[in-house]
Amino acid sequence: MEDNLNIVGKRVVRSDSLAKVTGRARYTADLKMPNMLVAKVLRSPHPHAKILAIDLDGARKVPGVKAAISGFDGSGIKWGVFRYTQDHAMLPTDKVRYIGEDVAAVAAVDEETALEALSRIRVDYEPLPSVFDPLEAMREGAPIIHEQYKNNINIHVHIDVGDVDKAMESAFLVREDTFKAAGEAYAMMEPYAVVASFQNGFLDLWMPNAGPHVRAKALANLLKMPLNKVRVRHINSGGAFGGRSEVAPADLVASLLSIKADRPVKLVLSREENATSSRQIHDMSATIKTAMSKDGTIVAKDLRAIYDGGAYSSTGPIATSVPFYVYEECYRFPNIRYNGYRIITNKGIRGMYGCHGRAFLAGNEAQMDLMAKELGLDPVEIRLKNGLRAGEMTATKSRITSCGLQETIETTARKTDFQKRWAKPQKLEGIGMGCVAIMCGFPMGFRSGSSCYLKINDDGYVTLVTGVVDNGQGNESMVIQAASEILGVPMEDINLVNADTEITNLDPGAYSQAAAFVSTNAVKIACEKARKQIVAIAAEKLAVSETDIALKNRLVYSVANPEKKMPIAWVVREAFARAEPVVATGTFFPDIDLEREWISRPWGQMAGTFSYATSVAEIAVDSETGMITMPRFTAAHDCGRAINPMAVEGQIEGSVQQAGVAAITEGNLWDGGHLLNPDLLEYKVPLACDMPEIDAIIVESGDPVGPFGAKEGGIAIRMNAYSAVACALTNATGVLFKEMPLTPDKVLEMVEKATEEKG
Amino acid sequence: MKKRIQFTVNGHAVAVKAESHQMLLEVLRDTLHLTGTKYGCGEGECGACTVLVDGASVDSCLYPAFEIEGRKVTTIEGLMGARNQLHTLQKSFVENGGIQCGYCTPGMIMSAKALLDETPHPGADEIRRGISGNLCRCTGYVQIIESIAKAAEKEQGNE
Ligand code: FES
Ligand code: FES
Repeated sequence: MEDNLNIVGKRVVRSDSLAKVTGRARYTADLKMPNMLVAKVLRSPHPHAKILAIDLDGARKVPGVKAAISGFDGSGIKWGVFRYTQDHAMLPTDKVRYIGEDVAAVAAVDEETALEALSRIRVDYEPLPSVFDPLEAMREGAPIIHEQYKNNINIHVHIDVGDVDKAMESAFLVREDTFKAAGEAYAMMEPYAVVASFQNGFLDLWMPNAGPHVRAKALANLLKMPLNKVRVRHINSGGAFGGRSEVAPADLVASLLSIKADRPVKLVLSREENATSSRQIHDMSATIKTAMSKDGTIVAKDLRAIYDGGAYSSTGPIATSVPFYVYEECYRFPNIRYNGYRIITNKGIRGMYGCHGRAFLAGNEAQMDLMAKELGLDPVEIRLKNGLRAGEMTATKSRITSCGLQETIETTARKTDFQKRWAKPQKLEGIGMGCVAIMCGFPMGFRSGSSCYLKINDDGYVTLVTGVVDNGQGNESMVIQAASEILGVPMEDINLVNADTEITNLDPGAYSQAAAFVSTNAVKIACEKARKQIVAIAAEKLAVSETDIALKNRLVYSVANPEKKMPIAWVVREAFARAEPVVATGTFFPDIDLEREWISRPWGQMAGTFSYATSVAEIAVDSETGMITMPRFTAAHDCGRAINPMAVEGQIEGSVQQAGVAAITEGNLWDGGHLLNPDLLEYKVPLACDMPEIDAIIVESGDPVGPFGAKEGGIAIRMNAYSAVACALTNATGVLFKEMPLTPDKVLEMVEKATEEKG
Repeated sequence: MKKRIQFTVNGHAVAVKAESHQMLLEVLRDTLHLTGTKYGCGEGECGACTVLVDGASVDSCLYPAFEIEGRKVTTIEGLMGARNQLHTLQKSFVENGGIQCGYCTPGMIMSAKALLDETPHPGADEIRRGISGNLCRCTGYVQIIESIAKAAEKEQGNE
């Protein structure tokens, strides 16, 4: 790792925080434009129904209404991230497939008028039989939701490495269990909002989003417009967590309305609409069969996961695969089989989530603990034994270049006195450990890489242009910090222009955990080129060798003789005078196997690198109420190198809340196609008083390719915090959980079962 | 029914026309263009809309506009001192990483302000309780609690 860093690695104030703390940071709903209209959406009351007719005339006649649209005003094109998932028209014309689906919309001079107009829209439906449970949906004779998906099977990911059956036969210990988990709500604090402004053939859009380029691409397709006329602009985002990654029906609605009305349109979803009609998270079940040898080596895994996909594909192939991959990137599996099914049901659209796959991951980890116990091993030993190390290959042929897994396991174990406490749990107290890896970026075709353009202005101030996206993680500040390090100017001298599709080049966005490893690398490369140019001129001017030059505090100087120095701004002006202004571009494309495909070719290098993490939860169970309390949580994250440790710790702590405490409190509740808890009263986002004391530990394995050694920082804890809680519960009760969230009723069942077993 | 109401916002006297069904949040955001105060749920569940009315923290999404007549409202925009000096709490949130996406931040800071006005030296549990009406989805609250605790310490130093 590079040492002698001036600013990278320091707990710096984030560049975005000043605007946010004064209330000046703008979010989509804050935007106001001349002549802007208010939009409202009419939603499907049926989980599944044929659309016979949509009559917008009544709405159009309401004074003050400037546009009314339905899917019949669209292009008829269906969007899908992959060719084989193009099933989502965003505004349907054939049938509705979930309660809350966008059917028609109006734009009017004010909200009252818009609501009045909505009430005048007539839609004739013919209700169809519907299906809500994925297992039922797979059965012969179940209602078919999309013609092209037989048995409602949207995606089937099949991976088979080695000889699983043979290994199972000869294994010392084999065990099979099934786990379930309710889907969660993203519950980002900012309800979804879109502003669309169509003028002179150009469509400008603002919305909280994690990937402006993918969003613009989808809308360009849906609207049959060229990419340079669909411009997704930069705006702050009030949280994403995976739920703002894809184009949303509201984007198309606002766009069509603006085009029709020839005026800017703002559509703000209510809290309930955000839950029912933006994105939700997959309910899931996982059947896990594991075989171990006598010494605790995992010899085979046979895994089957079923994801309730809701009504459309969304990022289906990715969502169906990711839980498996983050697991196989963590442990050594000579023989492994995975059958992941994503099933279409008459529920809202389900997308990727930062904590995706809890039944699968927590199930695997908790089961491993029980098996280890049978073999006389503890959770630490079994994880160290089976955990991958740098230099090894995963089952599906990704090479691990840097790996701090062992260190995260050992550090958390040491700090919690894990092994001793696990061996002798107090009655109904437990300690549990969860591990996982995660890819820093995954194959997204040519969108897997990032480019940065920078110029240094004649006053020495820097303009940095990149596609990097910030949904609150601190990605903007991260790239500014990296640039500040290399260019020797303070962070406040750098203006970041980002997340705007017309100005910036392709970038994965705040998606696939690529910002630190991919986007920051592109920024670093651009800055290094600019620096080289500065160094060359300064060396000549100061009459020293280029190797003797350093940049710091807006100055360029000789290291051997610091008296020899000049402001960077002077060098920049000199460069202008030589007709060679200091401008640079940097592009980084991770070393991934572009042939890799989620379904047809699920092997090859998945990502440039992988980050690792271990979570340890300490819990106590009240045997009478079934309530779990969690006094302490310890989490260690190998993020390669923490560019801003304060930001990484914040990510870890947020992950403990969103995955760890959520394992006890969070889950969507359904009655058929009705979401019963779309609000924040019944859906339990943990409060400050629900939080354990958190020990956030940063482990720095120093990735050889990562910028300054950095990898993703934060999500890995999101993907294992629930495992730690589930394992702690197994430690406390001696039995496995069946279903998440671990609410009192389910915990009481476990306690009873444990008592019976001891019987 | 429409009515003209007069009140004070961040030290300035204002008069606005409001409808009987309107809430303070709407008046602040739409009529007065003070968009620092956020809409998160509209039902008193998230605290994103927290402002001070006569010094007490309230969910402005549930506060009828008509009832604001003659009262003093402080929003996040009114927290800065002379010459745009950040309030101790604002400074502390910035320095201690109490902000990620920032959407809960204005409401969180206003609740913290009400807390510190009432309890100048709160313990960690009092801080937790003081912000129990404010949801944050990003931070796990750790750095928020730290920000509030450190602001309280600073204020104490200033006394
Ligand atoms: S918007 Fe007022 S409490 Fe949520
Ligand atoms: S910082 Fe995002 S909700 Fe609190």
